[in-house]
Amino acid sequence: MFYHLITLGCQMNVSDSERMHSILQRMGYVNTDNEEEANLLGILACSVRQKAIDKVYSRIHKWNKWKNKRNLITFVSGCVLPADKEKFLKQFDLVFPMSEANQLPDMIREYGVTSGISLKTGSSRIPSNDNIFSLWNVNPTYHSSFEAFVPIQNGCDKFCTFCAVPYTRGREVSRPSSDILEEISKLVRGGYKSITLLGQNVNSYGKDKTGEEISFAQLLEQIGELGIVSGREFLVYYTSPHPRDMKTEVVDVMAKYKVLAKMVHLPLQSGDDKVLVKMNRGYNIEKYREIISYIQLKMPEATLFTDIIVGFTGETEEQFQNTVKAIDEFKFNMAYIAKYSARPGAASYRWDDDVKIADKKDRFERLTQQLSQISEAYNNSLIGKSFRVLVLGKDRKPGHLYGLTEGKIIVRFASANESLIGTFTDVKIVSASDFSVEGKTEMVLDELRVS
Amino acid sequence: MSKIDIQAMIAPYSVKEIRNLCDASYVVRFNKNTLAFRAGQHLVVGVLGSSEAREYSVYSGRDEEFLEILVREVEDGIVSRKLRRLKEGNTLEVNGPYGFFLTNAQPPENKKLLFIASGTGIAPFHSFVKTYPNADYTIIHGIRTLDEAYERECYKENRYVACTSRENTGDFHGRLTTYLKNMDIDKETMVYLCGNSDMVFESIDILQEKGLSNSHIFTEVYF
Repeated sequence: MFYHLITLGCQMNVSDSERMHSILQRMGYVNTDNEEEANLLGILACSVRQKAIDKVYSRIHKWNKWKNKRNLITFVSGCVLPADKEKFLKQFDLVFPMSEANQLPDMIREYGVTSGISLKTGSSRIPSNDNIFSLWNVNPTYHSSFEAFVPIQNGCDKFCTFCAVPYTRGREVSRPSSDILEEISKLVRGGYKSITLLGQNVNSYGKDKTGEEISFAQLLEQIGELGIVSGREFLVYYTSPHPRDMKTEVVDVMAKYKVLAKMVHLPLQSGDDKVLVKMNRGYNIEKYREIISYIQLKMPEATLFTDIIVGFTGETEEQFQNTVKAIDEFKFNMAYIAKYSARPGAASYRWDDDVKIADKKDRFERLTQQLSQISEAYNNSLIGKSFRVLVLGKDRKPGHLYGLTEGKIIVRFASANESLIGTFTDVKIVSASDFSVEGKTEMVLDELRVS
Repeated sequence: MSKIDIQAMIAPYSVKEIRNLCDASYVVRFNKNTLAFRAGQHLVVGVLGSSEAREYSVYSGRDEEFLEILVREVEDGIVSRKLRRLKEGNTLEVNGPYGFFLTNAQPPENKKLLFIASGTGIAPFHSFVKTYPNADYTIIHGIRTLDEAYERECYKENRYVACTSRENTGDFHGRLTTYLKNMDIDKETMVYLCGNSDMVFESIDILQEKGLSNSHIFTEVYF
């Protein structure tokens, strides 16, 4: 029996899918890339953008047509808003939150003798995370042999007005630190080079179990110690932290340990204090500036990534200009810029989406252009310097490989040696463009020097 | 070890009372069960079985034996109209509590507190005063008419100022921001704002002009 699983959205869904693959394979199903031969078809949905939800509707429409010709079971899980869940219940055989995924074998067994309505739907509008631990205990089928995601926390209590995640993922729940450290130890022993700690608010880690669990800074410290004891070369990243919970202790620990990558992805969302108030972000630009200053003081080499929303409800040109100033001030290496779109379930969905589409597009383009100039200037400053690069794969440019520096700057270099993929190699930067640099491996440079 | 009240844990959130405060606004009182919250937190409330729910700050005090939310009926509002039609014994779906608003105001903090609210934005402050009646607080409440000064009798004398914009029946006739501009505020005061974004934004500007630090200003925007 074959299964076909489609994963939409963020790294959290990718991480969840690694566990879902294990659950399905444990049941005797075999993964197939060809959905037409699968008996079990599933989607891990994403509700951050309407486009991703549209994909789910389009796919189930197609799958349900196939049901007339052959026996198959369909399911949907992941991030699903209550309103979409109601509709999915009529279209999919099984609809369940990811925290219930470990019970999928029972659901499928029962499905064979009951009606085509979901057996596990839960009644609560905000999904319960009570069973997320059983999902975390599943050994994942990692998507790579050298890069891995490790979930440390799930859910969100922040209720940013533009975001529906609290309604799709439930409340903040921290995974036991002993389990996290055990999974990381296994990965390190298995030769993994890049490990990303995942959660909706990673730096809220432990807050749901105050007094019973260590803090995020303490967790990083233990991972740092594990790195020293292991003697292995690997890097640990985390995403996403929330500026509201960012503590100086986290930065201190990052600066102390080599395995903790000197790269911070800290979502700003807007550079305007009033827009931040309206977004219910719980910090202002002054507080954000304090965090960035501390990062730059303790880790001057650290790269900075962020997320920005342009055209949020009521955002004026003047308020947008404050975001322009913030981008200029903080000199982000990368910003994931999104044009605001109201998400059903989020508080702002009920507010007037009053910034014209053309203005959102214009602001998006201006910010992208600005980011491109800042990033290019930074990348130019790297020319002539050498970096350890984790080689990720073959580049689109023939005869080239690509990888990432510790700060996640994309590096391309000429090499046909595919055995480098999944290893660290030293690369000297020789040219730069806006969002990547080009280099030569030190091995190639040595050869050039000899000849 | 204290005995766990299983019955209370699984009990439904039953409506006990709908209390009309004025034409547009009312209070929904319902079972508390085992739900514990801090003043300033909100719940997500809907009618059981309905796919719609909304966030409402808790209006009642932490130690009261019931939960209350303050609701303004919105024209064409799906949830606010449904809730008003509920009868005693009807069941609600309640999730929460959520949020951090007023976290820094809770004892043992003992600072001077200035609460600024427009309309139903008074709810978290009502909950706070019910919970900590001896706190050193002042409330400035921006409303249109005096009937929106919801249950003002629960606040101590001289600690509540109703700013009525449409009639001269309150403690101050005019917008609350006008009152705020003329007010002397100690720079060490912790200021909490809750209500519509225009009021919140304008008040922040006034407070900053008066020299208050951003670290002393906390906000919760309703719409």
